[in-house]
Amino acid sequence: MGKFGIRTGAATMAALALALSACASGKATGGEPATGGDGVKTGPGVTADKISLGMLTDLTGPYASLGKSITQAQQLYFEQVNAAGGVCGRKLEGIVRDHGYDAQKAVAAYTEIAPKSAAITQFIGSPMVTALKQRIEGDRLLTIPMAWATSLLGGQAIQVTGTTYDIDMINGVDFLAKEKGIKSGDKIGHLYFEGDYGQSALNGTKYAAEKLGLTVVEQKIKATDQDMSAQVSAFKDAGVKAIMVSVGPKQAASLVGVAVAKGMDIPFVASNSAYSPQLLGTPAAPALLKDYYIMTAAAPMSSPLPAIKKLVADYQAKYAGQPVDSGVGAGYSAAVIVGDALKQACASKDLSREGIVKAHRSQPSWEGGFGTPMDFSQIDRPASRASFITKPDKAAVGGAVVFKEAAISDLAKDYQVPVG
Amino acid sequence: MSDLHETAATGTEARAVAVRRRLTRPLIWVAAAALAIAVPFYLEGFWLQTGLFAMSAAVGAIGINLLTGSTGQLSMGHAFFLAIGAYAYVYFSADPEQGARQALGGLGLPTPLAAVLAVLTAGVAGGLFSPIAGRLKGAYLGIATLALIFLGQHLLFNATAVTGGYNGRAVPPLHLFGLTFADTPALVVMDVPFGALERLWFLGLLLVLGAAAFARGVLRGRPGRAMNTIRDHEIAAGVMGVPVARYRAGVFVLSSMYGGLAGVMLALVFQRTVPDYFGVFLSLDYLAMIVIGGLGSIGGAVIGAVFVSMLPQLLTRYSDSLPLIAEPGSGGVSPAEAARILYGAAVVSVVLFLPGGLAGLFARLRAGGGGRTGRPARARGLRFSSSPTPTPSPDTRS
Amino acid sequence: MITFLELLVNGISIGAVYALIALGFVVIFKATEVVNFAHASLLLAGGYLVARLQPLTGFWAALVIGVAAAAVVGAAIEFLIIRRANVASHSVLAIVTIGVDIVLTTELTRQIGTEILALGDPWGDSVVHLGEVTVAETRIVALFTAAALITLFLLAFKYTGWGIAMRATAEDSETAALMGIRLGRVSLSAWAVAGALAAVAAVFLCVFPTPGLDRGTSLAAIKAFPAAILGGLDSTTGALVGGLIVGVTEALMTGYQNQLAFLGRGIGDVAPFLVMVVILLLRPAGLFGIRETARV
Repeated sequence: MGKFGIRTGAATMAALALALSACASGKATGGEPATGGDGVKTGPGVTADKISLGMLTDLTGPYASLGKSITQAQQLYFEQVNAAGGVCGRKLEGIVRDHGYDAQKAVAAYTEIAPKSAAITQFIGSPMVTALKQRIEGDRLLTIPMAWATSLLGGQAIQVTGTTYDIDMINGVDFLAKEKGIKSGDKIGHLYFEGDYGQSALNGTKYAAEKLGLTVVEQKIKATDQDMSAQVSAFKDAGVKAIMVSVGPKQAASLVGVAVAKGMDIPFVASNSAYSPQLLGTPAAPALLKDYYIMTAAAPMSSPLPAIKKLVADYQAKYAGQPVDSGVGAGYSAAVIVGDALKQACASKDLSREGIVKAHRSQPSWEGGFGTPMDFSQIDRPASRASFITKPDKAAVGGAVVFKEAAISDLAKDYQVPVG
Repeated sequence: MSDLHETAATGTEARAVAVRRRLTRPLIWVAAAALAIAVPFYLEGFWLQTGLFAMSAAVGAIGINLLTGSTGQLSMGHAFFLAIGAYAYVYFSADPEQGARQALGGLGLPTPLAAVLAVLTAGVAGGLFSPIAGRLKGAYLGIATLALIFLGQHLLFNATAVTGGYNGRAVPPLHLFGLTFADTPALVVMDVPFGALERLWFLGLLLVLGAAAFARGVLRGRPGRAMNTIRDHEIAAGVMGVPVARYRAGVFVLSSMYGGLAGVMLALVFQRTVPDYFGVFLSLDYLAMIVIGGLGSIGGAVIGAVFVSMLPQLLTRYSDSLPLIAEPGSGGVSPAEAARILYGAAVVSVVLFLPGGLAGLFARLRAGGGGRTGRPARARGLRFSSSPTPTPSPDTRS
Repeated sequence: MITFLELLVNGISIGAVYALIALGFVVIFKATEVVNFAHASLLLAGGYLVARLQPLTGFWAALVIGVAAAAVVGAAIEFLIIRRANVASHSVLAIVTIGVDIVLTTELTRQIGTEILALGDPWGDSVVHLGEVTVAETRIVALFTAAALITLFLLAFKYTGWGIAMRATAEDSETAALMGIRLGRVSLSAWAVAGALAAVAAVFLCVFPTPGLDRGTSLAAIKAFPAAILGGLDSTTGALVGGLIVGVTEALMTGYQNQLAFLGRGIGDVAPFLVMVVILLLRPAGLFGIRETARV
């Protein structure tokens, strides 16, 4: 065992020797903000001719279809900006990392790309964003999550775009009361996913129901559940007059299909993640086309807004034959939001992370032409409280058309969003 | 390798080999130690983090290898014990907080104590399952332990006061001997900024070494022989006086505690617990690790853990320079998919072509490289062979 | 009461589908003592082929081809991998099937991509009214198909040469081999049968109450694990009973979620596993499983 002592001693010596030479290692130089030749202060991810933007997406997991659309739309935006000369004389470059909806991979991917990114233009999956929330705030890295849960509010660096799920549901319940004859004393059902998507949405429904004197019948499911027969039986038994839907497209299709087949002639109001145009190719299509409404803060892809018309045309030109779903709009507008923040930051000659977040937060009424104006100056409130009501439509681009233009209901106006 | 000394070489040749061995082995150890210590000074955060995930996986894999590799009991519930370890650490160490929406409980204990208690809690959880773990064997236990995963997920999402529900909870950094394992307060060692990952690196190394040493002790002693006998011939074990059910339950508890320790390490690296993570796929990963590395061998568990945790990261990182693998988002086989296919295929091909796993392969290569030819492909893969002869303890090196 | 009946009927019909999957496990286990974790991917493969072929060939032809192809995939796994792995412990073989499952599932989900594939079945979304209880027609068909297939197997086990060979192998494979039973053939056929059963189950998992086949479909196979084991891994009757128990438990616990809110919401997914644990505590070999006895 004496040998062991010598060995450890030798090992320590060798290690110390190595460590001493560490001064030569690349890590020794810190990544402090520097000022470039053009007088613009720069931070990580920004060089003299390039701005790197991180994209933490899901291309192989359950949200792969969304992730693909978002990523391609953002690549399209970078190309367009670069063709027009870039931002601040620098080209935009996206760094894509696929986490497959796995928290560990997401954390690893963040650790890899955060040091070389100036901002994150998309981050799919609230569990993943939640896992990294503290680090993102600590790094002051402007991040656009592709999730709309209230738990993501409250930080400077994370910007939830548009409405949160609860606001959508409040506007939806308001719509039911005003136009679908739901009145005080009625019961409404809510089918929701376990997790903060479902929970945020449920909070909104509960708030609106309380204000209007309605009772909420809850049914919680997991993302792996496929068949909603038992849930429909329970809703039918309770005698609900309408059902709110905050699950995935597949479960939504099952719910609506079974309910209609069982003769429940009631309206369904869904969160924006509970619909996908692909459902119109399945047996559930007739039921969905009947009385199904989707609440969304972003105008659907079939909207006549010029910005959206141009986006659809450009996207179809670049990615011919690929579906133009809501992910395209969501991804593109998120990229524009980051692009605008960079332009603002450039104007004040500060492309450090701090500068980018500050520039972004200085916009109280941002309007990218995608439907509703957003307020980025309040960190503890959703950027917008206005929701479009859209309806599935086979012929429309993106499979949905505007049923009612974006509006803020009175209920949503006074609603205090729970933060954190 | 005492058995080799006796059998293979004789006379001067043997002495020469022995001398060379005595000289080279410490050198290899020194080099390995120096390398391990130098890593945080050179590599960026991404690599350190990947390394730390691999270390946590190594501890967990050693644990499940004791159960599955050495005792022949299949467990699909390992992720549950990781979850117990991670969440118990948070609960014991965090201060209770009165949030806007939900109150989170916590005991506010000193963090090292919380870590130890978390490992013990995982052991207790394993013990509670022992009526089943002791009585069922092999694949039956495998499926029964699936229940733990689903039960665990249900608890993690619903026992919000302890777990924080779907949000998870922030993990309090470990304080040990006046050192905080977090990015703040800032610490600079020899001009290199030492953040949480750099600090945790050394702790992780120590824990892996400790976990491996302990498992080695278990396997080489009486318990190890008893475990192997249960695996190879349950009835013979019973006849020889090994209390089979008690051993099975005991190994299950021990393996749960390894899982718990891996969970604590993971929580410290993650800095936040996320319930979705502790699902069935994590359990499958662990089974893949021990098969790829080599069933029943400690080194194998570590190698398998490194392989499975590093592979997707490496492929993603170097996807642009690898053939056949497409850039994420450009269609084709993405790095994540390639990694999954590769490691699934690795599990299959190891069993078909590499009895003993990667550890067995390394052992053979080393034997070949040391100038000794004709060493039979003896196996560290005895557990793979169908020979009915009693199995020696899995690690006969000295 | 009507809700209860409706949940019960739904539970029984989905339970019958689980029973088909569980029967596949049991057949493989009886013949080879391997727990086949690759069952989920067999299911996905069968369903995928049916969904892809049906626009070209129509539903029935696609069904036949899909079932046959899944049988071939099952047989190929046995022939190329399981047979060649010289492994003493069946736990190791179980892990091997996990590896197979990962490879197949990854490739299939990559092929499916982001689509939801409709199966084009003839039943569509029609429902049957039994008094006040409504049940999807697909589920009635599933129930009868499963019942017919399971009966067929019980009879085949009892009376055909194949069944006797299978039972003899399960009893004592070495003696069976000495008596001239070709173990390779028995195990190959078991895997093929399991693949075919999984494909049939896949079809019923992807029709009406669910909109179609997508990457998540294979996860439903996980529910057949408790079904197979609580009935007893070596019992065909057990597979049937286990499937029904899992289906009914799941449906009732979900349907009465509001009354059971104290257990936490979403208990329906956990309940089958809890039932399994309780049964295993009382009977470690499952309800109908034969407790292994050994003479020394």
